[in-house]
Amino acid sequence: MNTSSRYNRQVILSEIGENGQYKLLKSKVLIIGAGGLGTAILPYLAAAGVGEIGIVDDDVVELSNLQRQVIYKSSSVAKYKVDEAKAMIAELNPDVKVNAVAEKLSGKNAIALFEKYDIIVDATDNLQIKYLINDACQVTNKPMVYGSIFRFQGQVSVFNYQNGPTYRCLYPDENSSSVNCTDAGVIGISVGIIGLLQANEVIKMILETGEILSGKILVYNILNNEQQKYDFEKNSSFLIDKIVFEKKYKIVENIVNEIDAEAVLNEMDSEEILFLDVRNENERPKINFKNKIQIPLMNLENELEKLNSTQTIYVYCQSGIRSKMAVELLQKHQFKNIKSIVGGALALKELLKGERIKI
Amino acid sequence: MIEVKYFGAVAEKTQCSFENVVSSNISLQDLLQDLEEKYRFESLSFSVAVNQKIVSKATNYTLKTSDIVALLPPFAGG
Repeated sequence: MNTSSRYNRQVILSEIGENGQYKLLKSKVLIIGAGGLGTAILPYLAAAGVGEIGIVDDDVVELSNLQRQVIYKSSSVAKYKVDEAKAMIAELNPDVKVNAVAEKLSGKNAIALFEKYDIIVDATDNLQIKYLINDACQVTNKPMVYGSIFRFQGQVSVFNYQNGPTYRCLYPDENSSSVNCTDAGVIGISVGIIGLLQANEVIKMILETGEILSGKILVYNILNNEQQKYDFEKNSSFLIDKIVFEKKYKIVENIVNEIDAEAVLNEMDSEEILFLDVRNENERPKINFKNKIQIPLMNLENELEKLNSTQTIYVYCQSGIRSKMAVELLQKHQFKNIKSIVGGALALKELLKGERIKI
Repeated sequence: MIEVKYFGAVAEKTQCSFENVVSSNISLQDLLQDLEEKYRFESLSFSVAVNQKIVSKATNYTLKTSDIVALLPPFAGG
């Protein structure tokens, strides 16, 4: 491993060393928000050699951002924040892979996004999205590094760390209101200090050193330099799982379960799986599965008694369209283990190269 | 005397960062009720800590004179 001289001053710290530097380079951190907090956190994580950093923000730089979002230049105005941030980091440390995501975080993209990272950093400026981040962190089992600002005061905490308390345990009332920086006003130094405290929690988690602010909220007042920590406990009544999440954020429930044709090849002789052909009798090619039945889609609803609702059934048709409709229909009738074969008989024919096929 | 600390938007309503409440044998619930009547927090939500520990607002705790209560609203800026 070549940590070169770039990281020398931190590698010589006994808490870091070569091993710690290796951990940093292997770690993946997602920062939600490229505003005041995000732009304070990002360069420090990148300079320290955090190997992969995602940044999510769909805003462009405005002139009024520059007094606190110090990585942007006057020439950045009107450009996407994530693109500007990525360009800045590329010059700062080419070891770091930056993923610029110019999207708004939502219930639809949060889970897939979070799954690619080890640590999620909340650098956002509204309360609703903090609940979304919290909930998606619970579903994906990731720690959430929280920071937020009210004028000259800031809060920092780490939620869902090793199954610890969450944002909902601290603030159960989702319908509360609090003003953001646009409305309340803010100075760059406040977001800088709080952002760096968040970056510090990220680095400590990666290095597995020090004490993490889990189950504790730090409240900092920059006007009098007072800081306090408050303890809070886990409340299991705020557990969010995938089903609750999907319901809450109204993600389309009718996701049709599909299986790739390639994955089916090894299971063609399985006793446990029934292959259901929903094409008409005369359609070709016929495929020879061990355990098969043919019920044309138009007859399916009237012939459900031929099927067992708890059995694993792979449905196929010619190209994979009718089979998707069949899966939806069967799911409506409480069939549990149903999958549609992507690409249908034509895809299978391609893969089987003439074996077990009757044309 | 019980010390009550205020943070964020709550401190803006109370216009002070702390005050001392002269009461003996008052429950946490009653104290919060008194503060609500005095300051009208209304839609402003906050968590409550007693001696640096977040507690349920509905808890049946009788405050002692050395206790420090803190009202912590969520912050949203960033």
